[in-house]
Amino acid sequence: MGAILEIKHVSKFFGGLAANSDVSFELAEGMIMGLIGPNGAGKTTLFNCITGYYPPSRGEVIFKGRKMNGLEPNKVCKLGMARTWQKVRPLAKMSVLDNVMVGALCRTNSLKVARDIALEQLKVVRLDRKADFLAGGLPIGERKKLEVARVLATRPQLLLLDEVMGGLNPAESEEIIQLILDIKKHGITQMVIEHDMKAIMRISDRIVVLNSGEKLAEGSPEEIVANQAVVEAYLGSEH
Amino acid sequence: MKTILNKLGNNRGFSPVAISLWIAALAGLALFPQFVDNPYALHVMILFFLSTIMGESWNILGGYTGQYSVGHAAYFGVGAYTTMMLMQYRQIPPWLGMWAGVAVVMVVALVIGSICFRLRGPYFVLASIAVAEIMRLCAVNLKDLTNGAEGILATEIPPFKIGATVVTDFLSKVPFYYIGLSFAVLTIVATMLVQHSKLGYYFQAIREDQDAAHALGISLSFHKNVALLLSAGFTSLAGSFYAIYVGFIDPPTVLALDISVQIVLICIIGGIGTIYGPVVGSLVLVPLSEALRSNLIAQGIFKLGLASEESGVGVFLKENLAHAHALIYGILVVVVILFMPDGVLGFARKLFTARNRGNA
Repeated sequence: MGAILEIKHVSKFFGGLAANSDVSFELAEGMIMGLIGPNGAGKTTLFNCITGYYPPSRGEVIFKGRKMNGLEPNKVCKLGMARTWQKVRPLAKMSVLDNVMVGALCRTNSLKVARDIALEQLKVVRLDRKADFLAGGLPIGERKKLEVARVLATRPQLLLLDEVMGGLNPAESEEIIQLILDIKKHGITQMVIEHDMKAIMRISDRIVVLNSGEKLAEGSPEEIVANQAVVEAYLGSEH
Repeated sequence: MKTILNKLGNNRGFSPVAISLWIAALAGLALFPQFVDNPYALHVMILFFLSTIMGESWNILGGYTGQYSVGHAAYFGVGAYTTMMLMQYRQIPPWLGMWAGVAVVMVVALVIGSICFRLRGPYFVLASIAVAEIMRLCAVNLKDLTNGAEGILATEIPPFKIGATVVTDFLSKVPFYYIGLSFAVLTIVATMLVQHSKLGYYFQAIREDQDAAHALGISLSFHKNVALLLSAGFTSLAGSFYAIYVGFIDPPTVLALDISVQIVLICIIGGIGTIYGPVVGSLVLVPLSEALRSNLIAQGIFKLGLASEESGVGVFLKENLAHAHALIYGILVVVVILFMPDGVLGFARKLFTARNRGNA
């Protein structure tokens, strides 16, 4: 399996602050990569650099063999890379169905086709009963699902999920875990930021740990759990 | 018949009731001048159409795409000036000149858009005001082109001919009534088409959350500029229509900040981002502003016996109420924004659904 995404020496500076410095790793097609690290480690910044939201200050982001630096987010999405937002961003005054249709319209000009795709995706996340509700009125758990349905409707090959389980109760988290594993079965590569260690260990094929903007470790979940540097970063060196 | 209506309804998302109402309203409005020949009534209707055109135009950019331009006077004025200058200086009849106006305005809009859309939120609003003011100052100072502060007077509107037959000579208000009506219908239909298209979905997505829209594959600059072009083009038609109807333009009447604010208010009062919001806004604002201007309110107070015309209060009202029309207008706007944040239409809808829920 080839690499669908290559991060090569990516750095991002805000003024003098390095939010990411010299981060490199590769993401093989079809797998789930977990991206973890303490608060402020630069996980979301890295997502922003990958999806074109910020241009990286240094380094390269290569998606399907193509250099992505400087491409706008909409072009990135068209090329098959889609992301969700840590703080959900529902299109509040539009219906749940319309939200997902906006995603689907990325691949079609026909409203009818988009509606069919959207209904199908809503079934996948089990929100089809709420298709006509206003997105702004959904509780947090359903907003997160809507976020996933909306990006899936853009038909991505690579999906970047930014804390889709944040703020959810255990039952809702379990639903999302099953959803992520289902998405994997469809051959979609995923990169997942998550704070829930149990969940991330269960779903990830490989994990990258960031700390203070730098890559601290990379490996299988078992290797990461056993890594002394990672344990120190999370719990402090005394333990 | 019913199945045809159903089919039409299902395809475009309209109910048969809505279509029947549309046909009835159009028939009524089309026949209106046949039964009413009072010029003032026709004048008020023409102002209503003009207001609807302006409101619907702004609505595409402000209501659907969420880009609150407070500089639409620029497009209104440039359209009006282009039409009038072509007619007075080049003898090009206005029904051709107004399309030239649309073309000029679209070029202007593209320039303005490519600059102002780099800004977001309140900064975009300020930039749009500034651009309109620049346009006004240009019109005042480029005397050779625009005749400066003296304005342009239409000395004669050439009769509208098809072949050798004169369709209308524009001597009465009736031709203006029908032109206004057709443009109003045109802008409403255009808004409907936009709302039920991919473009409409993208505009609304940008309004709700630019960053989310961007990440879903929507080009922000392209779609904002498309919305602006549509909006500015229709506003330009309104400006040209106004210029020919009134027959005189100068910078304060077509390029002032008042016009920009007026355009926004039509939508805010009626209901932003809805097809019929600007129509409802115009139904409220045009009669209100006419009533205030012609002191109908003071006369109403006397008729109801709330104050006598000779008393101190009566004299005060008679002398001052007409002048206070901007004040009363302002108070009304504040009240509507405070108590009906979704406009009159949104408020009515809320009342209606609340009552339905009560019944169920």
